[in-house]
Amino acid sequence: MPMKNIESENIVQTNQLTKIIDGKELVKDVNIHVKKGEIYGFLGPNGAGKTTVMKMLTNLWKPTLGTVELFGETLTPSSYEVLKRMGSIIEFPCFYEHMSGRDNLQLHCEYMGYYMPDSVDNALKMLGLLEAGGQLVKRYSLGMKQRLGIARAILCRPELLVLDEPTNGLDPAGMKQLRDLFKMLCAEYGITIIISSHILSEVESIADTIGVIDHGKMIREISMQEISEMNTMYIELAVEDTKRAAYILADQLELKNFKVIDAHTIRIYDDRIDTSVISKTLAMNDAAIHFIGRKTESLEDYFLKVTGEGAKSC
Amino acid sequence: MLKLIKLEWKKNNIFKYIRNAVITTAIIIFFIVIMAGELETGDTVQIYGKSMLTTATELFVHMAYIVFTGVMLAVFIVGAYEKKTMNLMFSYPINRKRILLSEMAAVWIFNYIAMVVSKLLIYVVLILTRSFTGISMTGISFGELSFWLNVLLSSAAMVSVSYISLPIGLKMKSSKATIVSSVVIVCFTQGNIGSATLVNNIPFFVVLFVIAIVSVYLSICNVETKDLL
Repeated sequence: MPMKNIESENIVQTNQLTKIIDGKELVKDVNIHVKKGEIYGFLGPNGAGKTTVMKMLTNLWKPTLGTVELFGETLTPSSYEVLKRMGSIIEFPCFYEHMSGRDNLQLHCEYMGYYMPDSVDNALKMLGLLEAGGQLVKRYSLGMKQRLGIARAILCRPELLVLDEPTNGLDPAGMKQLRDLFKMLCAEYGITIIISSHILSEVESIADTIGVIDHGKMIREISMQEISEMNTMYIELAVEDTKRAAYILADQLELKNFKVIDAHTIRIYDDRIDTSVISKTLAMNDAAIHFIGRKTESLEDYFLKVTGEGAKSC
Repeated sequence: MLKLIKLEWKKNNIFKYIRNAVITTAIIIFFIVIMAGELETGDTVQIYGKSMLTTATELFVHMAYIVFTGVMLAVFIVGAYEKKTMNLMFSYPINRKRILLSEMAAVWIFNYIAMVVSKLLIYVVLILTRSFTGISMTGISFGELSFWLNVLLSSAAMVSVSYISLPIGLKMKSSKATIVSSVVIVCFTQGNIGSATLVNNIPFFVVLFVIAIVSVYLSICNVETKDLL
């Protein structure tokens, strides 16, 4: 009998989730916590185990060890009712290619037991496929199939969307359209979205929380707000002569925490000092400045740091 | 369940299979009528005999629909695994066993009806062309219960026996393997070596029927706990 966990705020929670296939550990002890109404970015390098976890969340794969809790209920092999409340795209969306996009969506409604007039047209409209709805799916481009997959995932107004790399095959305009759509679905309909993507900037601009997975293990789960608060800020200087500029910084401004990056770049890791003071002092001492500005670590920097991928690529 | 079966027919474009069944039946009618004409000339009487036309009809129809059933099982079920549309089906709030059983039932019902209709059509054509061919219609008697029992039961047995090919296709993850298996079943059940044949061997078909039921069970038994790889 599935256990109820009513006190939990989390709409999705995994506990020590582990999957082993043919003796190979694909993911181990993964703990995910997704709050209701948030967008959760699931990040990790290729082969890290994102799709494996998402397959277990949608009950396509069963955990070797550990549990998945959806809407406060522990997922079992016979948890079918919970699937009514979910929409998903795992790996790539599959369709009946000899049928039109509209017929595919209508078929989906029949299987889901969802009968709402105009729901198919509304979903097609949201994804910009209203005109192409009558075309056979086999004539769709990769991007159109991806959008049709998302139309199908949101068609029955699910409470939870699980999207594995949903922006694959989309052009920048299509990506922007999806980003706006996800934000709208989250804000207006309160839909919780778990989204994995290898394009970190995509997740960075919409996610409330991110989970980083690497080599099958959950490295970190952190809110975007925390990331921006904890990331080290620095001031970057582009100068003509770094030796002279470094001497002035140390001698005139008594700065110790700075680093010469290359022949024209210096980074100052002291956010208490004002950039105007630095530029004024350098100018008064005849040190030419081309650029000065404060910088923070992007999600990409953070991701590379926690997965160690940055160090490997250097 | 009926709704699921109808959806299976809809999404797999059942009209294509109806068209193919009509073409198959027309080809069999053509061959049977030619054979009837040859029997009249006496060329092949020694081999078949006039009263054996019903046997020839059953042979052709059974051969055709055992393969037809194998092809449909390959497309409806094994192909769905290959093309990953089964992942989509298993994301619906429907018991996985019910999904697979509805797919099997969709194939079984279609082929059973098609086989019975084909046989009856061929018999009707043979009766209508009797005045031209002059052959006797031994074994074709629409008024006798034994005739109907033979048509209905042998059709059910043949369609069921085709399901032996399903777990083979699923195990090998190959539509082709499913179809090839159904051809092998045709050779076993309808072929002959000299005068030796298993066509009318009832115990043999009972054993095959039991194997078919075990095959269906094997195809669905672990579906809820098995990962979709």
